[in-house]
Amino acid sequence: MKRMNIFRLLIAGAALMLYNATCFAQEYTIPEVTVIGRPMKEIGVQETRFDSTMLKEHIANSMADILTFNSSIFVKNHGRATLSTVSFRGTSPSHTQVTWNGMKVNNPMLGMTDFSTIPAYFIDDASLLHGTSSINESGGGLGGAVKLSTQPANAQGFGAQYIQGAGSFKTFDEFLRLTYGNARWQISTRAVYASSPNNYKYKNRDKKENIYDQEMNIIGQYHPIERNRSGAFKDMHILQELYYNTLRGDRIGFNAWFTGSNRELAMLTTDYGEEQDFDNRQREHTFRSVLSWDHIRSNWKVAAKAGYIYSWVAYDYKRGLGNGTMSHMTRSRSDINTFYGDLNGEYYLGRKWLFSANLTVHQHLVTSKDKNIILQEGNKAIVGYDKGRVELSTALSVKYRPTERIGLSAVVREEMFGTEWTPVIPALFIDAVLSEKGNIVVKGSISRNYRFPSLNDMYFLPGGNPDLKKESGWTYDAGVSFAVGNNRYKISGSATWFDSHINDWIIWLPTTKGFFSPRNIKMVHSYGVELQASSDFVVARKWLFALNGTFSWTPSINQGEPYSPADQSVGKQLPYVPEFSATFTGKVSWHKWALLYQWCHYSERYTMSSNDISLTGRLPKYYMSNISLEKNLNFKPLDLSLKGVVNNLFNEEYLSVLARPMPSINFEIFIGITPQW
Amino acid sequence: MKPLTLPLIILIFTLCHSCMEWEYGLEENFSTSGSGLFIMNEGNFQYGNATLSYYNPTTKSIDNEIFYRANGMKLGDVAQSMTIHDSLGWVVVNNSHVVFAIDLNTFKEVGRITNLTSPRYIHFISDEKAYITQIWDNRIFIVNPKRFEITGHIECPGMTMETGSTEQMVQYGKYVYVNCWSYQNRILKIDTETDRIVDELEVGVQPTSLAIDYNNKLWTVTDGGYSGSPYGHEVPSLYKIDAETFTIEAQFEFRKGDSPSEIQINRDKNRLYWINNDIWDMSVNAKLLPEKPLIEEQQTIYYGLTVDPYNGEIYVADAIDYQQQGKIYRYSPNGVLIDEFYVGIIPGAFCWK
Repeated sequence: MKRMNIFRLLIAGAALMLYNATCFAQEYTIPEVTVIGRPMKEIGVQETRFDSTMLKEHIANSMADILTFNSSIFVKNHGRATLSTVSFRGTSPSHTQVTWNGMKVNNPMLGMTDFSTIPAYFIDDASLLHGTSSINESGGGLGGAVKLSTQPANAQGFGAQYIQGAGSFKTFDEFLRLTYGNARWQISTRAVYASSPNNYKYKNRDKKENIYDQEMNIIGQYHPIERNRSGAFKDMHILQELYYNTLRGDRIGFNAWFTGSNRELAMLTTDYGEEQDFDNRQREHTFRSVLSWDHIRSNWKVAAKAGYIYSWVAYDYKRGLGNGTMSHMTRSRSDINTFYGDLNGEYYLGRKWLFSANLTVHQHLVTSKDKNIILQEGNKAIVGYDKGRVELSTALSVKYRPTERIGLSAVVREEMFGTEWTPVIPALFIDAVLSEKGNIVVKGSISRNYRFPSLNDMYFLPGGNPDLKKESGWTYDAGVSFAVGNNRYKISGSATWFDSHINDWIIWLPTTKGFFSPRNIKMVHSYGVELQASSDFVVARKWLFALNGTFSWTPSINQGEPYSPADQSVGKQLPYVPEFSATFTGKVSWHKWALLYQWCHYSERYTMSSNDISLTGRLPKYYMSNISLEKNLNFKPLDLSLKGVVNNLFNEEYLSVLARPMPSINFEIFIGITPQW
Repeated sequence: MKPLTLPLIILIFTLCHSCMEWEYGLEENFSTSGSGLFIMNEGNFQYGNATLSYYNPTTKSIDNEIFYRANGMKLGDVAQSMTIHDSLGWVVVNNSHVVFAIDLNTFKEVGRITNLTSPRYIHFISDEKAYITQIWDNRIFIVNPKRFEITGHIECPGMTMETGSTEQMVQYGKYVYVNCWSYQNRILKIDTETDRIVDELEVGVQPTSLAIDYNNKLWTVTDGGYSGSPYGHEVPSLYKIDAETFTIEAQFEFRKGDSPSEIQINRDKNRLYWINNDIWDMSVNAKLLPEKPLIEEQQTIYYGLTVDPYNGEIYVADAIDYQQQGKIYRYSPNGVLIDEFYVGIIPGAFCWK
């Protein structure tokens, strides 16, 4: 089959999978599993994939929740609908590169991504590229990369879906999707609006209320039942998509996503201020857009993308003056303009070789205004910076499959940030099929990687350090996976070992002048094991049991030089990185009912670099469980879906971060309406 | 049914597991006597893990987390300073917007002042009046410590809420002097009878701390700002100010890039100490800055400093990497190491009992 159209085969395969997934709702079957003919692009790649079916089960969640309950990544959650960052294989949040439809969406000022602001409803396909595998996507992912993308809705004619959610703490979630499609055009508009005072109750064990007598002597004390104070949020997202397929191998796509977010920043458990005396708030308006063109031929493909991001972020901290007016204590503003371009080419030489080349450019223009001050002369000035930076990344790769059982892949990448280039970043991948019967595949990879400092690292006033070096690391991966089954059951699993050394790790430390400044300090050895297993069983054709579990062991050890003879942090686990984490998801589907149970576990996180455990600095291990029950009803003019969700099923008191209580048991119901035109 | 087995096992496993392990509410009964040293450990900003330590110089014993252990609750977010007035210690917890009053021997709370903006230091005018300085507020609060309540405030000129910064206070007669640090360059003079600012004096950029010697001379040290600051970046200086005339008598310049801070004075108020990478000391009558430090730094950044008012021994705080228990070094008056011990995260301030 010299003239075989490999791309069309891939598309056909994806369509078959989608068809089978759709069949689940009717009469359950399980697609056949085979490693023969697996995509060349996946040679040696360690990837965790969340498909659209799975993401649609969690429409009300953010990507932070999806990652918490379905992956080995640790999500550091500052509360409900508040900053949620990830630690991939024990690395810092800025060591995870995040792309949306190919465009990097890490905040260029901070280097990290807040996953609480990414609604799962807007993501059709998400995957984690672990460690070395991220080199295929971008540089800088010392822990890995998260790939998020949207897909055409495959609509025929008009379609609509509206989902209304209402839950505890006066939480309301609204989801709307309008679609139109035919063979050539696919148009989709999605909107999400979520709001809540978010004032959940909790027992504040960090403070006590005093009872005084008339002479102001304390005659009693108790831990108060408090509400989460100043935690309200209103988040709105709109996503417009337009796809055109010439049916002759050319596809054009346009995606535009607007986020308008207004979030209060909740008060700490140790805050004795009155809620009405302070207003601590972050507002964000972000617009992201990507225009893409794919030109697909039988054995080659070229693609081009152009994109633009505008982000305005305002942080205000105000204090009531007692006369009804609020006065600013902090008034921080940042404007980020990012221009993005991407060129990609692929060429299949027979069935054994795949050559690809990629060139990506991001131009960031950032203005940060952090503080208004009165100068010594009496006039005013703003403390901040106004900087731009070009980020160029280019990669060449060759993938070779001499036999169906063996795959080899080599990638060389080079990056330029500003005027500084990285050395050549090599990555090598290999996989081999040990058993066709058990679909047993072994994989191995090795890569170099570099991460440049963020713009705040270099220019923030006060403290930015333009002399910072880029972080660098070597990562090694090895793993084995298997999959067995037929159309009644499937069992699969994988085990991966990884080992990563990161040098010149950047951390912010206080200075003698009273502010923080970043320095290249640490050398970190991160290693461990990631396990994943899943199984699907069809019983009596009407019952489907789907189970999925992950487990990870991620020591992330500081191996730098001691700061001083008193330093006790060398050889210790990094703070706020759990050594063990696990997740489990179980789903039972029967006719039009679906019961979903989710569970996750994080081991104790240290809050000190010395790993000392103190009375005031403990973050004990916790287990978290959610459960939901869904029923679909089909009427002639419309389909209805009813869903009830219980979060924190066992009403556990828990913290992800010190002084930030998480909500107790809470409930939400959803009603979904899909007209059948 | 076989497929049900696995989820059932996992469900049972989950239910059988204990939830997050909390250790709450246990209160210890302390009963200390004699002199001792309180150490305020700031903790990490926004993490609510400030702590209070107590060191007995006679027995060389250290007790950490004494506020939590005595009261069964946390001290709060960023412990800034502590002042003793009569039999009570007043602990200022900056980002918890609170000042706790504690018994000096049992460490039990006896009351608290709340509704503060961002308190830094407390200074007692009398049993029924004290001032509390603040950052991010252009007001110094007047409080009644007996009733634990705010009774008024002093509006500070030349600053807004956003640029408000008043710090340490010393008293000479009926006047209290306050250094203004963050994006400021002044010392304010407050008449304690009228609770009004009656004068101000310009010094260098960002005076960090304040002391008064036996000659009634005020001493402040500026940090000079930082590179790129629109407020200016200059050579830091040590200033000698006559409290009576409120004029600068002498200015001792450091080198550009130096970071002097934490001016301290001994019991006899005739010798100054400060941090500038190393630990330095100088007679209050000296005409030049010293050429050699008293104690050389040990590959670290010193964060806090105090001098024993009873015997002149020097205590230096090392915050190490600011994410672990800091260490205190105790030196003899001539700089010989006597003892060392670990305390809480970011030890920044001391208070002698």
